[in-house]
Amino acid sequence: MAGPVQASHLAPLLEVRGLAFDYGGVQAVQDCSFDVSNGGITALIGGNGAGKTTSVLSVSGARRARKGHIRFDGADILGLPAHEVVERGLALVPEGRLVFEQLSVHENLLIAGHTARSRRRLKDNLDYVYDRFPRLQERRQQNAGSLSGGEQQMLAIGRGLMTSPKLLILDEPSLGLSPILVSTIFRLIRDLHNDGISILLVEQNLHQALAIADYAYVLEKGRVVQSGTGHELLNDPKVKEAYLGVA
Amino acid sequence: MTLFLQTTLNGLMLGGIYALAAVGFSLIFGVIGIVNLTHGVFVIAGAYLALLFYTELGLDPLLSMLPVGALLFAVGWVYQRTIIDWAISRASVEASLVVTFGMAMILRNLLQLWFGPDVQTITPFYSFFSISLGPFRVDMVRLVALGSSMVLLLGLTLLLARTHFGRAMRAVAQQPLAAALSGLNVKRIHAMTFGVSAALAGASGAIIGIVQPFSAASEVAWTLNAFMVVVLGGVGSPAGALVGGLLLGLINSYTAQYFGPALTQAAMFLVLVLMLLLRPTGLLGNPYGESR
Ligand SMILES: Nc1ncnc2c1ncn2[C@@H]1O[C@H](COP(=O)(O)OP(=O)(O)OP(=O)(O)O)[C@@H](O)[C@H]1O
Ligand SMILES: [Mg+2]
Repeated sequence: MAGPVQASHLAPLLEVRGLAFDYGGVQAVQDCSFDVSNGGITALIGGNGAGKTTSVLSVSGARRARKGHIRFDGADILGLPAHEVVERGLALVPEGRLVFEQLSVHENLLIAGHTARSRRRLKDNLDYVYDRFPRLQERRQQNAGSLSGGEQQMLAIGRGLMTSPKLLILDEPSLGLSPILVSTIFRLIRDLHNDGISILLVEQNLHQALAIADYAYVLEKGRVVQSGTGHELLNDPKVKEAYLGVA
Repeated sequence: MTLFLQTTLNGLMLGGIYALAAVGFSLIFGVIGIVNLTHGVFVIAGAYLALLFYTELGLDPLLSMLPVGALLFAVGWVYQRTIIDWAISRASVEASLVVTFGMAMILRNLLQLWFGPDVQTITPFYSFFSISLGPFRVDMVRLVALGSSMVLLLGLTLLLARTHFGRAMRAVAQQPLAAALSGLNVKRIHAMTFGVSAALAGASGAIIGIVQPFSAASEVAWTLNAFMVVVLGGVGSPAGALVGGLLLGLINSYTAQYFGPALTQAAMFLVLVLMLLLRPTGLLGNPYGESR
């Protein structure tokens, strides 16, 4: 696969080139390249074990890529530790939510609201998150571990928003949620996008992900094997056959 | 009956000190998952430093808790940033067990070289006072020791519950990856946790110095006590340390009174084994959840 084709002609917010990562010799991501446009919704799709999570963990600094370039907002960020990547305005809402279960909902948000980048806006950010998620407001003193799966996902997203991100990466936010909640989450993603936050969405829920994505990349065995606008991929025979269960 | 109550009183007073001496050990285990076998050295180093401040500058041990705590905070910080971090990142969290054990031996010998093998005590003017409450007698130093321990434990409780640093420690304990993704510098929090732990150990050493004789060799007993306190009370919280410390104080006090001082160690181990069999998470459990 050659360099990715970018739908937008603006400089991309995030550029990933030739990313490679292995877990003790087992290649999880190899020569992975993609762009995330400024102000858009980009999707990263692929089956189990395709390397999606490993890619976004590498981008966010939680894993140290072995090779490649990661450029975010005009600066190279490869090699920066995760907490410094957050300070640049890139927040990852990790797969599996990983809320701080024994901390209250409010404390979960306070922790993330304390970055040097977002500290001054703590009050505004709290208002924004509680406004977006009234459920969290109702349960603010409850331990995060006592929330339902959907509420924990909202909290995980809220925690990401507390860092005032330019780019929010969501790793399988709809995993394990009921169809109604999945729709809620996708509506929310659109709303966040309308509020000016760029989105990179990692999903196995292809129909809905491709429906809202401006542009999408298909990952297989750690490589980008296909890319196009959400609409193009939805109607692509190969994608249909491999992922959408349509022959 | 009076003897029983007096024994109970003595046990509880001793227990307050055990709690303070152990709470840092408990904190490191809860937050980082490391069994820090160097903990007793921090306690005894605190006692020696308080002794130095007392003999050289005439500083009361209760006041010297501040400079002693500050010095040991720095020691704990550097210790984590260097040796502990090297061991964890090159080998594993389990490797830290061997490393801290080895460091404890080295440091014990260094303390012996510097301060000599003799048993020491710190004796401020109030060492010889005691208060009578009806038929009961309370040593002034023990009362002072208990009071200071409670104040410091309360301070730590507030730190953990109310401050950003406290929340950060709890977050790192539960979910290090998410903590880093939320903008926390996990390595820095680990170093701070070691610093706080060593500072509290040092402060407890200053108090122990006025209550009991100590020497470099007693560091082993203080590490063991800390371990016992965690097994009894549970990991990571000041409340757990307090419960565990008070219980340990009572066990020691009753055993010494009714079965003879020689049997306190045996009684401790008996309770240790029973606890591990019956309630391995300690009486108060782990406030950081099942992640560890
Ligand atoms: N911690 C790990 N240790 C070893 N191998 C791992 C680890 N995490 C992932 N892998 C392997 O790396 C490959 C890519 O995994 P990754 O989690 O990035 O895939 P994914 O696309 O996110 O999958 P899913 O959709 O199931 O979440 C897989 O083969 C996986 O088995
Ligand atoms: Mg994944």
